[in-house]
Amino acid sequence: MRLLALVVLSVALMVVDARFNSLKPVRSEMGLVLMPFYWLAEMPARLWDGMTEQITSRSTLMAENEKLKAEALLMQRRLQKLAALTEQNVRLRELLNSSALVDDEVLAAELIGVDPNPYTHRILIDKGEKDGVFLGQPVLDASGLMGQVVEVMPYTARVLLLTDSTHSIPVQVNRNGLRAIASGTGNPERLELRHVADTADIKVGDLLVSSGLGQRFPSGYPVATVTEVVHDAGQPFAIVRAMPTAALNRSRYLLLVFTDQRTPEQRANDSAIAAEQAAEAPAGEATPASGSAATAEPTPAAPTAAPAPATPNATTPNTATPNARTPSTAAPGPSDARGPDAPPSPSSEQTRPSTPPAVPADQGAQ
Amino acid sequence: MIGTRPNNGWVIWLTFAIGLLLSVAPMPEFMEVGRPLWVALFLSYWTLYVPHRIGMGTAWLLGLAADVLYGTLLGQNALVLTLVAFLVLLLQQRLRMFPMWQQSLVLLVVFGLAQLVRLWLNVLAGSPPPPTLPFLLPVLVSALLWPWMFVALRGIRTRLQVN
Repeated sequence: MRLLALVVLSVALMVVDARFNSLKPVRSEMGLVLMPFYWLAEMPARLWDGMTEQITSRSTLMAENEKLKAEALLMQRRLQKLAALTEQNVRLRELLNSSALVDDEVLAAELIGVDPNPYTHRILIDKGEKDGVFLGQPVLDASGLMGQVVEVMPYTARVLLLTDSTHSIPVQVNRNGLRAIASGTGNPERLELRHVADTADIKVGDLLVSSGLGQRFPSGYPVATVTEVVHDAGQPFAIVRAMPTAALNRSRYLLLVFTDQRTPEQRANDSAIAAEQAAEAPAGEATPASGSAATAEPTPAAPTAAPAPATPNATTPNTATPNARTPSTAAPGPSDARGPDAPPSPSSEQTRPSTPPAVPADQGAQ
Repeated sequence: MIGTRPNNGWVIWLTFAIGLLLSVAPMPEFMEVGRPLWVALFLSYWTLYVPHRIGMGTAWLLGLAADVLYGTLLGQNALVLTLVAFLVLLLQQRLRMFPMWQQSLVLLVVFGLAQLVRLWLNVLAGSPPPPTLPFLLPVLVSALLWPWMFVALRGIRTRLQVN
C-alpha cells in the first residue's frame, strides 16, 4: 500500500513538474541545499589544481606571462580596428534606416559540475538567480556559443549544451548567409544540420554563426565549422556535419550573455519614457519603471538604473543615432536582468571595450 | 529487532550524503557510462539491515534529493528508489540468509528492474532513448561492488552499533 501511495505521488509530481511551473520554486529551494554537493565533489580536482599552481616553477610562469602579454597585444590591435568598424557599422545602418546593433553584456561564470548522466550534455555553473541569470539565457565560451540555461537555482544554474541530442539552434553560414538548423547529436564533437537541400551552397570549412532567428540566441556568434558534407543520392537532404567551435567538454570559464530582448519599437518607447522621466523627476530619484524589473531584488535595481538617465549623454559614445543617445536603462524588458547584475559582480564586462564598462550596454533605437 | 531505540542514526544519513556525493563526482568519460548506482547501493544495505528505520519513505525522499541534484523531473528517481526499497524489503527475510555472492545476484536483478524503469521514465520524459545495454552497465558494476560495500558497511554498523 505504501508502495502504491508513493508511486502515485511520484507520478503526480512528475506530471506536475513536466507540465506546470508550480514546482519550480520548490526545486530551486531544494537546489540551494543540494548544489554544494557538486562543489564538494569537485573539491579534489580544485585542490589539485591549486596545488599544481602553487608549485609551478617561476620560469613556466614567466613564459606564460610573456605569452599572455603577446596575446593581449594582438587583441588590443584588433580592438583598435574594431572601434572604428563599429562606428562605421552604426553609421551605415543609420543610412539603411535599420536599427542599430546592440552591444551585449556578459557575466563570467565558472563550471562547477558536469551532469552525471552520460547520455545528456548538461553542466552546472556557479551563477544563478541572484546574479540575474534567467531561463533560456545564452552561454558562450571564449571561442563560440556553448548552450543555454535550462534551470535556474538561487546560486547555480544548469546549462544545456549545443550537442545535447534534444538541442537545436538556428544558424547561418557566415560566407553566404544560408540558413539552417544545427541539432545536437549526443557526441560532444559533432552537430548536424537538418534539412539542407542537396544543392545548397555549403562547403567543408564554412563557419556557422548563430542567426538569432529563434530569438533565443543573439545573432553573429560562431557556433560550429562544417567538417563533412555528404551528398547521397538516396537521401532527400544532404548530410552536413559540423564541429562546435566552443570547447564544449573542456572550457572551465564561461560567459553568460545578457542581450536586450526588446523589439526596436519597445526600445524606442522605453528610451522616450526614460527621457521624459529624466526631464521631470529630480536627479537621483528611482524611476517607477525600473522597479518592475522581473528580478529577485528590485530594490538594488532601482538605484543602479536611476542614475543612468541623470548622467550626461557623453556616456554613450557608441551610438550615433539621435534617438539612442537618450539612455534607456530605466526599464529593462521582462527577462532582462541587466540592472541588478552589472554592479555586484566585478567580473561583469562588455564584449567590446569600445563602450565604457561602467555604463550598461547602449541601446540603439530605430 | 523492532522496538529497539534508535542509535547512531546520523551514520545512515552520512552514508546517504556520501552516496549522493559519489553519484555526482566527476569521472573520466569512459567510466561515466558504468557509474555505480551509489545511492541505491547504500539504500539497499540499510533497508536490508535496519528495515525498521529505513524504508520506502526514506527512499522516496532520497530520490527527490537525487532528482534535484541530477535535474531530472521531480519524482523520477524517487519512483525508482522506492521500487528498489520495496523489492529489497520484500526479499529481506531471504536476502539476509543468503551468502554474499547470492545477495549480489539477487540485487543484480533488483537493480536491473529499477534501471529499466528509469530508462522507461527517461524516454517518457522526452529524452531520446539511450542504448539499452550500456544503460544496464551500472547495474552490473553495482552488483559487483555489493560485496565490498557490504563488508565496509557491516564494519561500520557493528562498530557503531547503528540501529
